[in-house]
Amino acid sequence: MWDAVTQFLTVPAMQAFVNGHDWVWPVCEMTHYVGMSLIVGIIGTLDLRILGLFRFIPVSALRPLIPWAVAGFIGNLLTGLVFMTGTNQGVTFYTDNLSFHLKTLFILLAIANLVVFRIAGLEKQVYATPAGADAPVAAKSIAALSLLSWVLTIFFGRLLMYNDTLLLLLGM
Amino acid sequence: MRWVGATAVLDYLQNLALANWVRTSPSIFAYTTVLAVHAVGLAIVVGVNTIIALRLLGVAKGIPLAGLRHLYGTVWFGFWINLASGILLFIAEANAMAAMVAYWAKLALVALGMIVAALLRRCYFDDVASVQAGVVTRVGRNLAIVSLACWYLALIVGRLTGYPDLVAGWLGMGGTGN
Repeated sequence: MWDAVTQFLTVPAMQAFVNGHDWVWPVCEMTHYVGMSLIVGIIGTLDLRILGLFRFIPVSALRPLIPWAVAGFIGNLLTGLVFMTGTNQGVTFYTDNLSFHLKTLFILLAIANLVVFRIAGLEKQVYATPAGADAPVAAKSIAALSLLSWVLTIFFGRLLMYNDTLLLLLGM
Repeated sequence: MRWVGATAVLDYLQNLALANWVRTSPSIFAYTTVLAVHAVGLAIVVGVNTIIALRLLGVAKGIPLAGLRHLYGTVWFGFWINLASGILLFIAEANAMAAMVAYWAKLALVALGMIVAALLRRCYFDDVASVQAGVVTRVGRNLAIVSLACWYLALIVGRLTGYPDLVAGWLGMGGTGN
């Protein structure tokens, strides 16, 4: 099954395209950084508001910003796929990379966290929090986990290219 | 562009024990962590400045204008993180960084972004009557656009510091890029 995944993500045409044009990789990186800033800036600010900062903002006022963060996330999924399928080191550079595994884990954790937030009905309560008021306590742990997950997603994402240093730390 | 004094200073910085450690240590806490922390700080500075600018441009109008300036505390948090990590990244490779046009362009854009933030405070946020009335003045909107341009250009040009040959090729400066 793992073989099927690496097989699926091995796209010679994409490798040829990325290799043949020296601007593709840096442009995708820039786009990836823009998406990262949108996600962390917007979701991070929402998390901090739920945690009790910026009480002047009624929580629901942040809602119109969410689509911008979602757009950043979709952009990053797409550019991430370009990196995986386009690298001349082969997709196994990513699929065999501990930093990449950890990055993926924290993205999944952030998403699972969001699903719990919605299913538990916390989302409605949180968005009903007016200016000056405190969000429900249960939502605070979700917000803290979200903030931590996104920061660690960036951290391990940046570590990808320097995975050796992580392996050295772990004595692997 | 290179004169003896500058080269001496760059050599001095690059040979500092701290600079050597950041550059050559195989430890995860050396170059790797500094670089990763710099990315987190970037996301905070650019992301939160984006929220402020979008609000001034009419997105998320439910955010009270009177409190918006409080978000600058978070921008500053990211800024200090990146000033510290940026100094470490610079001294680690002082000669190479100082030779890059993209590096100086990025610093200029960051400085411009900070000046625009200061102008926003003076020309808009200090205009209590407009802010209290929930009105975004024309100067507020214009500065918001310039702010977005500065920060996203700084991000783009900053990323280009990872591709000195490519940039030199684009600028026709005899890089090895095709």
